Amino acid sequence: MIRTLLLTTLIILGLHAVEIPTAKATKRAFFKNVELNAQIIQLPNAKQSIMSQVSGHIEKYFVKAGQKVKRGQKVVLIESITISKMTSNYISQKKQLIAQEKNYKATLALYKKGMTSLQALNRESITKDGLLAKLNALKSQLSTLGIKTSQLERASANFILYAHSDGIVSQILQPAHSSISQNTQIISLVKDKAYYLKSFLPLEYASKIKIGQKIVMHENGKNIISHVTEILPNVDATTQRIVLLSSIDEKVQNLYINAYTSATLYFGASKSFVCVKKSALSFFDNEWVVFVPTDGQGDENPYEIRVVEPVIADESFVGVKGIEEGEEYVSGKSYYVKSMLLKSSMGDGD
Amino acid sequence: MVTRMLNSLIDISLKYKLLVIILFLTISAFGYKAYKEIPVDAFPDITPKQVVIYTESPGNSAQDIEKLITYPIETAVSGMAGVKLIMSNSIFGLSYVSIFFEDKYDIYFLRQLVSERLASVSIPNGWGKPVLGPNTTGLGQVYWYQIKDTTGKYSLQEIREMQKYIVTPLLKSVSGVEDVISWGGDRKQYDVLIDTKKLQNVGITYSDIVNALQKSNQAAGGQYLEFNREQYLIRGAGLYKTLDDIRNTVVKSTAGQSITIRDVATVKSASAPRFGAVSIDGDEAVMGMVLQRTATNAAKIVEHIIEKLPTVNAALPKGVVIHTIYNRTDITHKAVSTMTSALASGVVLVAIVLFLFLFELRSAFIVIISLPLSLLIAFLLMDYYGVSANLMSLSGLAIAVGMIVDGTIVIVENSFRKLHEEPDADKLTIISDAAKEVAIPVTFAVLIIAAVFIPLLSLDGLAGKLYSPMALNIVFVMLGSLAVALILVPTLSVLLLKATGSSENAVMRAIKKGYTPFLNYALNHAKPILVGVSVLFVVLAYILTLQGREFMPTLNEESIMYRVIAIPGTGLEHSTETSKLIEKHILKNYPNEISSVLTMIGRSEKGETAQPNYMEVLLTLKPGIQDLAALTKKMNKDLQESFTFVQFIATQPIAMRIEELLEGVKAELAIKIFGDDQKVLDKISKEIQSALSDLDGLEGMELETQLGQATINIEPDYLALARYGININEVMALIRNGIGEEPVTQKIEGIRRFGIVAKVKNAKRDIQSIKDVTLRAKNGSLVTLDQICNITLKQGASFIKRENLSRYMLLSMEVENRDIASFVKEAKEIIKAKVNIPDGYYITWAGDFKNMQEATQRLMVIIPITIFLVILLLYTAFNSLSKAMLILINVPFGFIGGIIALVVSGIYLSVSAIVGFLAIFAIAILNGIVLVSFIDELRVKFPDVDLKILLKDATLLRLRPVLMTAFTTLFGILPLLYATGVGSEIQYPLSVVITGGIISSTLLTLLVLPAGYYLLYKDRR
Repeated sequence: MIRTLLLTTLIILGLHAVEIPTAKATKRAFFKNVELNAQIIQLPNAKQSIMSQVSGHIEKYFVKAGQKVKRGQKVVLIESITISKMTSNYISQKKQLIAQEKNYKATLALYKKGMTSLQALNRESITKDGLLAKLNALKSQLSTLGIKTSQLERASANFILYAHSDGIVSQILQPAHSSISQNTQIISLVKDKAYYLKSFLPLEYASKIKIGQKIVMHENGKNIISHVTEILPNVDATTQRIVLLSSIDEKVQNLYINAYTSATLYFGASKSFVCVKKSALSFFDNEWVVFVPTDGQGDENPYEIRVVEPVIADESFVGVKGIEEGEEYVSGKSYYVKSMLLKSSMGDGD
Repeated sequence: MVTRMLNSLIDISLKYKLLVIILFLTISAFGYKAYKEIPVDAFPDITPKQVVIYTESPGNSAQDIEKLITYPIETAVSGMAGVKLIMSNSIFGLSYVSIFFEDKYDIYFLRQLVSERLASVSIPNGWGKPVLGPNTTGLGQVYWYQIKDTTGKYSLQEIREMQKYIVTPLLKSVSGVEDVISWGGDRKQYDVLIDTKKLQNVGITYSDIVNALQKSNQAAGGQYLEFNREQYLIRGAGLYKTLDDIRNTVVKSTAGQSITIRDVATVKSASAPRFGAVSIDGDEAVMGMVLQRTATNAAKIVEHIIEKLPTVNAALPKGVVIHTIYNRTDITHKAVSTMTSALASGVVLVAIVLFLFLFELRSAFIVIISLPLSLLIAFLLMDYYGVSANLMSLSGLAIAVGMIVDGTIVIVENSFRKLHEEPDADKLTIISDAAKEVAIPVTFAVLIIAAVFIPLLSLDGLAGKLYSPMALNIVFVMLGSLAVALILVPTLSVLLLKATGSSENAVMRAIKKGYTPFLNYALNHAKPILVGVSVLFVVLAYILTLQGREFMPTLNEESIMYRVIAIPGTGLEHSTETSKLIEKHILKNYPNEISSVLTMIGRSEKGETAQPNYMEVLLTLKPGIQDLAALTKKMNKDLQESFTFVQFIATQPIAMRIEELLEGVKAELAIKIFGDDQKVLDKISKEIQSALSDLDGLEGMELETQLGQATINIEPDYLALARYGININEVMALIRNGIGEEPVTQKIEGIRRFGIVAKVKNAKRDIQSIKDVTLRAKNGSLVTLDQICNITLKQGASFIKRENLSRYMLLSMEVENRDIASFVKEAKEIIKAKVNIPDGYYITWAGDFKNMQEATQRLMVIIPITIFLVILLLYTAFNSLSKAMLILINVPFGFIGGIIALVVSGIYLSVSAIVGFLAIFAIAILNGIVLVSFIDELRVKFPDVDLKILLKDATLLRLRPVLMTAFTTLFGILPLLYATGVGSEIQYPLSVVITGGIISSTLLTLLVLPAGYYLLYKDRR
């Protein structure tokens, strides 16, 4: 009895030497996350290229690699003999048609006056229709190439290519001033949001994963956010991991396809737990414990050893079972408390 | 026959006087040379014959080390010739097996035997290689130093490098240095920090990296090329030179493209995991300890080291110096000077006493000259038999100082008296006769003194090693004094002595006047006096059995040291922090007493068994401290109150090593609990602990908790491994190299070597990060450790101690204000009554107490034998058993005073006190012989005189020599009684006993012996 009293005093004395911090157990929501290995990929259908339908010479690019383009935006200027031929052909055809129309109108007036035969009129009409058909064919050809015939007044070799959809110029494939043949890819254009993160998730998390969960990719010191858009039904055969696809909401020029990167998958807020600081935990007699101060009155030890069961943890807090919300506990320097308790149990009191 | 021999010896020496003087001059010269050259040490070498085998097995747990290393070694070395005891300690990362042999074998032979046995031990690959510990003594740490950087430019790592590659080799070259132990700082290594997630990216495995590192770091010799009559050597220099070489190591190559270390890891310089640290005055430091080889002279080695220091300092970078922390010679000098000053003042006191009694310069000169001569002869013999000058051996001389002159006194006194009686006779004849008259008693007296100390020589273990140099030296110096007395003294007497007017001086006359009535009374009341004295002796002997006992008084080394113990499992970094706090606390609160504080935490890299929760704190005291004991007491209390979370145990550097030598028990008293299961052992220990906790005299109890080390158990799940196609080997290699940081290869820089470690990045942040360590199988599967192993947290063994192949646990105790023997007796009863010890478990007592017990048991056998031997000698000398017995009666007379002195001064009965009793034994017999032989002589001369008158005359005539021998012995021992220096406390009980003994023995001899003689011979004629 006296021994214990002595002991208690000793321990209290000891507490003056080392300040033992305490805190109250609080409820806290935990965000569970897991670090993953991930790869930046691009899905095959998301990539397009701008091709020249005609052969020619690349005169000028209106865009740079990485530039965002809108549908119909000028992209490249090509000088093409074919276009030059077509446009001059179109203009001459148009002029012939205008002349022929005049002929036809004159012939029609003469026919109304009965000064010429129907036969002659028909001949003029056929000629005119033939020219018109030819012109329309040319016109449609030119408009396919993006040349508006209505404004075409002179023959020109300039051929401008336009972006056929919104996107980003990912690469300029042909150098300026080079000659190209027909159907050469000149510019590759990628669609916005075309980059995906392929994350490999250990199987043990299979039950927790849901579409829409956040995956943050850590690349060159930047955190790039994406969201799970697809969980592939097959696990990766070699790595034996679940494969997640998440689209990346980020300017694409910073990313390189096929690069591996690290990422963190956040499962979202789970339940709230009563938690203690990580620094409160101590391993004691094969169990995790925290120390709970008692009133310190009488012969009692100033600390109670409370066995707890860690349920969940993050950087600095541990959700535990075995302690009530609002209960006071030793939040740090639990080593010293453990030392004193162990020492007293060793019987080195006096 | 003996008489004839002695007579002719005296005749011859008197015949060749000049030759005798030359002989003794030569002996003195050689003796002086021996005195100068004799090895000096604080203590006799008390180390048992011991061979230590240690196996470094980095990162492995105590259980596995016990199973895979310690046990095979133990079984291999058990059953060897001369093995007394095998002790082992398996701790985290180290197996330590210590084999104690019988003392008779040569240590090199034993080491050879052990090495041969070790060759047959098979230890799994990668688990370390057993090495014999340094061939040093338990007190072999003769010189401690710090490598001090005064510039502040160098990191601890760099200083540690200097220690390893500059200081150690230089100090090792000093003759007698066995090894230099490095402690503190950290060792450099190169970390290849592998991001295991990247292994998937490039399609390689962890072992690919390890292989690549190992294969890319190679050198080869290409023989030579002869060109134009000259030879060109060819050398393949493929060892890593720069960190970029490591980074560019190819791990895998595919179609022209290579994956290098750079792609999967970062390479950088880092520190190796460490097991110990050193801090000095609040800062971490690097220190070294020089170990002395067995059977070398500590003082000489330290001297040589000091001589070498300028060279070492020159080799070190500018501003970095060797700073001495502890130097064994300090204490050696202190101890030796305590003893030599006791010896010197003894010599002076004895000379003064002699002069006062003889009051005649010439005879005093002869007696006094015999003192240094006998001592020089003793030194000569010490040198010849390899006894070092130390606390114990020198104290042997100091004890004997008063006895050395006894023989000479008797001869000179007899000659002096005879010259006075017959002033006209031939001087040579008178002196020859006088010498021959007493030759027999003198010779036998000296032989008996020598014989009395033989029991000490027979002591085993620590006591024997401590006290046998003392006994040896007493024998040496007594033999020397005998030679001087028989050969030189007669010669000198012839040359120097002159007949004087009166052989008596005023002092003697006064003493005689006062003494005569007592003697008359004693002779008239012989029977009651004898009975009274016998009763007194019996009563005192009974009181002595009640007196407390201890093995050895504590040596005051004039230094303070603490063993500081934190709870098991305490981390090294925390301990280092604590040590700094303790140091600062001490320096702040004791600025006038303490100049520096050194803390050694955990263990150095060579074969010690301390864990990071263990620290040793050594204080360097400022000179001029008045009351060290009070300071120690105050500091003990203060420290314990200021740092409640650790335990402080006060000790001293040498005392601590001696404690350790007591079979691994660092305590005065301990219980060893033997058995198989550590948990059961723990339970029994705790039960004993609580049972004994209220026992009277128990100052503290310390259970060496072997359990309590939190362990992260990684147990492979075979099914899971099969699923992913990973074998155990890969997992274990990852744990050993990737987490445990065992180097996979070395980067060699000049002669310096640094480990290259294939370390898993961020593996050791917390328990979760261990679980998350990723492993890639050959087929590409990517798994975390948690997926293929059961990872659990357990409280395991922090160390496992075994003795003679059985596990045990240690409960050590501190007993104060009570003698240990009675404490043990009571404790045994309590344990028997209260503690339930299951089958297969048993306890034994250990520590100082055990040695005391063993010593006592041995003495119980040896002392009767010695007494028998003494009786035999006495019988030979006097040719009468009854006289032999009569002389032996003197022994209790001496003991009476010895016991009274012991009890009054409250000293425990220690081996030291026992030595005192042995000395009394000798002195009492000497007194008896001197008196009885003279009475015999007178009885032969005057057969018709009444026995009572004859006894009275004889005693009065013999009063002077008896008093002289008594007083010289008394004054010879007095300096030991009043000595205060280092080592004095060991001799204190001895001198107390002797002082008391001499007084009672002399008084009683002068009164009771004549009475006894009268009783025995009054009816005979």
